[in-house]
Amino acid sequence: MMRELGVIIPAIADRYGVRGGRVASVIALAVLLTLPLWGNTYLVTVFSTIALYSIVALGLVLLTGLAGQVSLGQGVFYGIGAYVSAICTVRLGLPPALAAVIGVVVAGLVAVPVGRAILRLRGIIVAGVTLTVNLVFFYLVVSVSSLTGGATGFVLIPRFSAPHFMRYSTFVFYLAWLLAIVCLVLTLHLARSRIGRALKAGNLLAGGSEDTAQVLGIDVMHYKVGAYVVAAVFAGTAGAVYAHYMTVIEPNSCGAQFSVLIAIMVIVGGVTNPWGALLGAGLIVGITEFFREVAPILVGGPTGAYELAAYGIVLVLCLLFLPEGLFSLPARLRRRREA
Amino acid sequence: MDTATVLQSLISGLTLGCIYAALGLGLFVVYGVTRVLNLAQGEFVMLGGMLTVSFVTVGIPLALAIVLAVLMTMLSGLFLYRFIIYPARHASGSTLAFLTVGFAFAIEGITLLVFGWEYRSLTAFLGSSSIHLWGATIFGQAPWVVGMTVLMVVGLFFFFDHTLVGKALRACADEPLGARSVGIDINRMALLAFILASALGAVAGATITPLTMTAYNVGIPLTIKGLLAAFVGGIHRAEGVILGGLLVGFAEALSAGLMPTGYHDAIALGLLLAVFLARPRGLLPAHGVAE
Repeated sequence: MMRELGVIIPAIADRYGVRGGRVASVIALAVLLTLPLWGNTYLVTVFSTIALYSIVALGLVLLTGLAGQVSLGQGVFYGIGAYVSAICTVRLGLPPALAAVIGVVVAGLVAVPVGRAILRLRGIIVAGVTLTVNLVFFYLVVSVSSLTGGATGFVLIPRFSAPHFMRYSTFVFYLAWLLAIVCLVLTLHLARSRIGRALKAGNLLAGGSEDTAQVLGIDVMHYKVGAYVVAAVFAGTAGAVYAHYMTVIEPNSCGAQFSVLIAIMVIVGGVTNPWGALLGAGLIVGITEFFREVAPILVGGPTGAYELAAYGIVLVLCLLFLPEGLFSLPARLRRRREA
Repeated sequence: MDTATVLQSLISGLTLGCIYAALGLGLFVVYGVTRVLNLAQGEFVMLGGMLTVSFVTVGIPLALAIVLAVLMTMLSGLFLYRFIIYPARHASGSTLAFLTVGFAFAIEGITLLVFGWEYRSLTAFLGSSSIHLWGATIFGQAPWVVGMTVLMVVGLFFFFDHTLVGKALRACADEPLGARSVGIDINRMALLAFILASALGAVAGATITPLTMTAYNVGIPLTIKGLLAAFVGGIHRAEGVILGGLLVGFAEALSAGLMPTGYHDAIALGLLLAVFLARPRGLLPAHGVAE
């Protein structure tokens, strides 16, 4: 049955053709950039969320797709960016933009020793350890409640000083997408550079070998920690923007479930493809919003129930039938057509 | 700081340690035979607890309810292997681990749909009376939890050392190629490992529910504690996992008793992580095998 499905799903996509990639992406970009002009606030918020998640996911593409390290702990750095920035504004009275930069820097600095300690390990153990680190971070945030607001969250975080001629949600929308595109370009560039090649040489998942790369004179550890820090900076950036956007941050918004969801986005989109991170983020946020807003109206029942099952089912189907992610679908279809 | 507090911490440490050891054993069985890090082990525990509670609620006697719950959880373990892991058995370790994550999310979602989000509990197996000992309180269910783990350990050692199937499982774990060449069906052994792990999880779930309560979302935190136990002690040996589980339990309970309130969870987990990072192959590494 598995094999039949593996044929049927690409065939359906084939029937409704995924052609003209370039035209499609130009149209998508135009629709996206004009969204605040015609969309309502809800839609703008959803797409801002997609941009922020894409930024975190892009970091994981660097770390997993290029460096071959599976992390289930990106929420830690997202949380550091958000909390440090919030603390700097509320307790120290700094302007939000400066505080956000401090948050990002702190996230990057924390990643150096953590990365050095964790990346000595190899293989799937790294995923388990990063997940545990995330739980430790969660407990820390909850317990240092005088600074972080504890389990109920940090509230009344000031907003960025946005220009007066546009709505705040519109401002954040453009800010988030600007940052997402910068991160995307950076990731694409890194993947093709000398650094990307060095990372791939040491990446077991891409057919490389850490030992061989080491023998060839590549300081694998150095590059791996570098990738870890860049991923942390990405996550911290998204977290800081999120904090000043929502004006609230709570421990659960950077907990283990968040980190696992980010990993799911990357896998569903295609681990090695930076564009896949955007696609995966869009799909997962889409599922979340669909099941939160639409499904309870259609079928009733508690919110929060359907999306959990949907994440799981999408992840399993994707890994079984499209192991290289949704983004490999067009290439697969092309290959099938030529074959 | 009095003897009663220390005694109380030690007692809850032992109880918690047994819970984590049971989780670690499930991870060990699957990892040993198939090299899959099963991030859905906590979901088996959750299912065992939730199903037992719901069977008891509809009036089925406790013993029968547990048996039914264990059997149904074993079915979910069979499903996980046969339809999710088996088709992708040649994929990388991280793909396989993420397949179990997907299964875990699906199970959580379905449980939430069927049973709702409320925390549920069971009455203790022999009434909810507690034992008082030098100022410390032992909940009536705690000895059952300890006994369940001891029984599990003894049973597993007997199974692995003295039965043909157990020896075949161990052969797969030690030397897959050799096992295949003497005619052991590796895929069947892998299926057996998943079913065994789900049964272990379900029994643990039914036993700990009177003590810890259960809900659809207890699985992932339990999995993380089990992972920590397995990593700290060493996932390659049953002894390592048991030692790791007890260490995690005692660290948690002692820091809850001795450390400033609120910080104890972070301190205990942080310390254990530090132990693991200092000894990445576990306190009891595999017997003379180069990794």
